Amino acid sequence: MICKGVVENIMGYIDAELDYETLEELEKHLAECPECKSFVLTYKRMLELTGKLRERTFVTPEIRAKLKDLLRSKIDT
Amino acid sequence: MESRYLRKLIGHSYKAQSREIDLSSVPDERLIELYINERDQSAFEVIFNRYVDKVYGIALRVTRDPDQSEEILQEVFITLIRKAESFRGEAKFSTWLYRVTMNASLMHLRGEKKYENDISLDEYVPYDEKGTLMGRIKSKDWSSRPDIIIYSKEALKIIDDAVNELPESFRAVFHLRDIEGLSNEECSRILDISVPAVKSRLHRARLFLRDKLSDYFSEWSKLK
Repeated sequence: MICKGVVENIMGYIDAELDYETLEELEKHLAECPECKSFVLTYKRMLELTGKLRERTFVTPEIRAKLKDLLRSKIDT
Repeated sequence: MESRYLRKLIGHSYKAQSREIDLSSVPDERLIELYINERDQSAFEVIFNRYVDKVYGIALRVTRDPDQSEEILQEVFITLIRKAESFRGEAKFSTWLYRVTMNASLMHLRGEKKYENDISLDEYVPYDEKGTLMGRIKSKDWSSRPDIIIYSKEALKIIDDAVNELPESFRAVFHLRDIEGLSNEECSRILDISVPAVKSRLHRARLFLRDKLSDYFSEWSKLK
C-alpha cells in the first residue's frame, strides 16, 4: 500500500470497517511511513476537536424569549 | 379507529400525568403525539428547549448569517406548530425537524446566492500525483500540541471558521455527521442524498479540514 491507500481508507480505518487484508496492509504502511502516521494522528485529533463544537449554545435568552412569545401567539390562534 | 382511540388515550394519559411527571425525559415522538392530540403547550416547550440550539446551529452553519438563522429558527418552529401532523413517525422526529431546517436554510441561502463562490472539493486530495504524502504532513503535525491550546476558545474559533470555508453541500454533511454526531443514514434522509454520497462528501470535507487545521495550527502554535 502507498500513502494514497491510507488516505482513501481512513474513514473505514477509524470506523473499524476495513477487511482484514486491507487493515493489515494499511497498518504495515503506517508502521513504516512517518507522514501517514502524522496524517492519522492529526485526522483523529481533528475529529475530537470538531466534536467539541457540538457543546456550544447559540441562542441568547433574548432571542429565546422573543421566539417563545411569537410561538405562543401562533399556538393560541 | 381503534388505534386513534388508543392514541387519544395515550395522549390523555400523558396529559394527565404531565403535571406530575417530568416531561424532559419523555421521548420526542411521544411529546409530538401529545402536542398533536391535545395541543399540550408544555410538551411543545420541551421539544422547543431540546432543539432550539440545534436548529439555529444548522441554519447558521448553512447560511453563515445570524439574522437569517434567526428567521429560519422562527420558520421552523412555526412549521412545527402548523404542520406537526405531517410528521408520520416513519423516521425519528429529529430527522424530520432537521430536514425541515435544512430545506428552510437552503431556500434562504439560494435566495442570497451565497453559494456561488464555493470551491469544489470533489477531487480534493492531500497526496501528490504519485499518491504519496512525502514532505506534506509531518512538518505540520500538531497532534501532540497540549490540550490547553487545542481546546482553547481561540482554537475552537479557528476550527469553526475552517468548517465555514467548506462548500455548502460539504459543510452541511460535515455539520450533521461530525458536529451533531448523526449517522450516515440520518444524514442521507435529511439531505435527500444517498449514503455513499454522504460518505464521499464527508471524506473530502475531513481531508480539507485536516489540511486547513494543519496550516492554521502549524503557524498559530509557533506563536504560543
